Amino acid sequence: MGGFFVGAAQRIIKGTTLYYVWVVFLLVMIAMGIGAYVKQMQLGLIVTGMTSYVSWGFYIGNFTFLVGVAAAAVLLIIPAYLYDFGPIKDIVIIGEALAVSALLMCLMFVTADLGRPDRAWHLIPGLGILNLPRSMLGWDIVVLNGYLFLNLFIPGYILYKAYNEKPANMRFILPFILLSIPWAVSIHTTTAFIYNGLAARPFWNASILAPRFLASAFCSGPALIILIFQLVRHYTKFHVKNEALFKIAEMIAIAMAINLFLLGAEFFKELYSDTHHLSPLEYLYVGLQGKGRLVPWIWTAFTFNVIAFVIFLIPHTRKNFVTLNIGCVLIIIGIWIEKGMGLIIPGFIPATLGEVWEYAPTPIEIMVSIGIWSIGALTLTIILKVLIPIELGEFTRAKRATT
Amino acid sequence: MTNRTVTCLTAFVISVCFAGSLLSGSGLTWAQSQISSEDFKAPPKHPTDQEFPVPLKPLSKTITPCRACHGPEKDFPTNFKRREDLLVHTNIKLNHGGVRLWCLDCHNPENRNYLLPLSDGKPIDFEHSYLLCGKCHGTKYRDWRYGIHGKRTGFWNGTKNYYLCVSCHDPHSPRFKPLAPKPPPKKPWTPKEPQVKR
Amino acid sequence: MSKIKMEKSSRISESEDSGTRCPSTKNPANKELMDRRMFFQGAAGVLATMMVGSCSWQEFFQNNFRRMTKEELEQTVQRLKAEYRQKYGKDFVVGTEGPIDATLFGYALDLQRCIGCRRCVYACVEENNQSRDPQIQYIRVLRFKDGEMDLEHSTIYYDPEEVPEKGYYYMPVQCQHCANPPCTKVCPVQATWTEPDGIVVVDYNWCIGCRYCMAACPYMGRWFNFAEPVIPADKVNVNTHYLGNRPRMRNVVEKCTFCIQRVRKGRYPACVEVCPVGARKFGNLLDPESEISKIIQTKRVFRLKSELNTQPKFYYFFSI
Repeated sequence: MGGFFVGAAQRIIKGTTLYYVWVVFLLVMIAMGIGAYVKQMQLGLIVTGMTSYVSWGFYIGNFTFLVGVAAAAVLLIIPAYLYDFGPIKDIVIIGEALAVSALLMCLMFVTADLGRPDRAWHLIPGLGILNLPRSMLGWDIVVLNGYLFLNLFIPGYILYKAYNEKPANMRFILPFILLSIPWAVSIHTTTAFIYNGLAARPFWNASILAPRFLASAFCSGPALIILIFQLVRHYTKFHVKNEALFKIAEMIAIAMAINLFLLGAEFFKELYSDTHHLSPLEYLYVGLQGKGRLVPWIWTAFTFNVIAFVIFLIPHTRKNFVTLNIGCVLIIIGIWIEKGMGLIIPGFIPATLGEVWEYAPTPIEIMVSIGIWSIGALTLTIILKVLIPIELGEFTRAKRATT
Repeated sequence: MTNRTVTCLTAFVISVCFAGSLLSGSGLTWAQSQISSEDFKAPPKHPTDQEFPVPLKPLSKTITPCRACHGPEKDFPTNFKRREDLLVHTNIKLNHGGVRLWCLDCHNPENRNYLLPLSDGKPIDFEHSYLLCGKCHGTKYRDWRYGIHGKRTGFWNGTKNYYLCVSCHDPHSPRFKPLAPKPPPKKPWTPKEPQVKR
Repeated sequence: MSKIKMEKSSRISESEDSGTRCPSTKNPANKELMDRRMFFQGAAGVLATMMVGSCSWQEFFQNNFRRMTKEELEQTVQRLKAEYRQKYGKDFVVGTEGPIDATLFGYALDLQRCIGCRRCVYACVEENNQSRDPQIQYIRVLRFKDGEMDLEHSTIYYDPEEVPEKGYYYMPVQCQHCANPPCTKVCPVQATWTEPDGIVVVDYNWCIGCRYCMAACPYMGRWFNFAEPVIPADKVNVNTHYLGNRPRMRNVVEKCTFCIQRVRKGRYPACVEVCPVGARKFGNLLDPESEISKIIQTKRVFRLKSELNTQPKFYYFFSI
């Protein structure tokens, strides 16, 4: 096993110039993020834009978006293992790698948001007190770590077998794969429930929230996967069939249709009943009491989502890589706004006692977030750097000497 | 009309006499020495007295010996009618109960060191003024006894300091006076942002 | 960057200047070096922060208040006292009095009486050692126009010469000490709970600072120490309770405890005692003769946002 790590390290160290540039770029970003985080730790969360009115912000927004990305791996697992759809089965492992790095980012974003990360051990059952079954955040920690385990274990097992040039024992691993499907749904549902369960925040306290979470997660995650697959296909010998990408795009179209439908349902309910519960939506889409920082953002997201939906709906544009990629980028940005800031901030505006105080991330928050995204990207890069040669059969116990 | 003029005139005459007697050497120092001991005997017992541990704040000596002037020796005519032009007690601006209330609706005309008695006929001393207040303000009085109206400090499960009606309300002008508020809280940090038209 | 923080707190901008090490400098050749140096600075910084942030191992490993043994609690209290003496130069009392038997605290506020003078706000700040900068005030006094009780049209920033103002009325809001509190339910580490006498408390040394309770509270009853709390040493109240007004640290949540340090010794909360109009009432809900019980018996009361079923033990009423 030691040999594996040596071989893997060798593979990680060696690469093209472009690879080095990429890694160094990420390291710079990470260092900047750490610097900003140190400042945040030294001075307290006052360096963020958060106040007693808007007590969650950019970090939790990114966290929410990334949970969706992580959950989206299930969209690959279902066709791959349940329907035995060959083109996707070949690539599902990369989807799981993405889930792992997305989960790492999730956990880091939550940690960045914590005021006292030094007390994180209070969350460990036994040592500390994990408030189960009452706290949704407690459940979220359980399901996120469980999902992280599943997504490390399943591909780990398959790769281990591949590394040893042995066939994977499907009878052993299939139960885990099957388990990961509801588990993926659970991570996003539980994350939705964190917000959903708060009666104090009418914007979140709508039963449509969890379904909408899933629908939008199944847009943004797969869109990211499509882009990453194209990059992988371009820079490595790893083969990704077009069919697989088009299939994913098709699923995005369905998910986006559901997402937009649910958005419409939400709009109808709030606008027609016209209660005070409309205020957060009003703040988000048109501004409230003369304040509307998020208005341009949410309309951008809305426009992007609709355009992307049309692109993914029409088979011609869906199967054209230029439009497909435009659609993917639009959808990622669109959902990032909608499920990030667009979801978290209006929950706090107006505040529970009616005041409207806005929020914007400070440079420190943005730097920390960039740092975390870079750690995620670096993790994914390193995983892929080891994973792809194993998948291709280039990096095995026998062949590890020949790099 | 004539009636009123007559009243005013009478009032004026009485007031002048009153003022004159005050100015003509019968100062307060002298008056105080004239207070008979019977004026300050133990306060008359009322059945409700023992219910409340009320602080018995004696009124300042310059105020309480009302009998120094209004005593039997002086024998000022007692006037039950409302007048606007008193020459004494000018510091008191009676703003209680509109035009329907007058000094002697509360102050005991028989013995000015006391307030009017309740139905038991026993005059109320100033320290138990709340008993008299309760005569008109019955619901307030009830609430005050429960601790709903008014203020108490001390121990929620022990000795309480009761604030009397007159601790907060000037009996001659009972409306609560406005206060300067303490400063408002600091506004939270907010991002600079373009205003959105609605 | 510094501009933003200057607005937030002048105190922070002072320490800001020394730390502007941004990697986006002019010379790209330096980037990698900068990067490495920054990384080490960063790593060292994280370690240093961990050390400074948690002061001592005892504090780092301090147990949840409810799980501490008597000896542990005594040791902790001694350590806290030493810490506070060092910080404020005064001897503190850090009480750990438990609830009084057969007591359930309730609070009532007479909206007819309140004149919005904010005496309670400041008495509370002084009694409970709230941070003066950044400012924390447990009590928010809302001003409404006559004829409505729409929170969205209320303000807490009114500042006239004199109160009460014509055409307005006032409604102070603080922690409502709900019988069904959403805040304790959501806490992932049980750093906040309801005491047997009904007071919702926070163990400041157990709170991880996730601020989930703030999102859950419908009354804005919870406050977060976004920076190291600042209390002038001459203003600090040394009569404290572990679960109440002992000085807090940064990045933890705090809240109104009905002045637990006072009420557990039988005294009225500070806001009750300071109110110049006697609008604030406090007592034992289980005692039918208490002020609070009498109010509930004889007045028509309401509880803020009762539709949320939080069941506050904080009642509003209108005396006539």
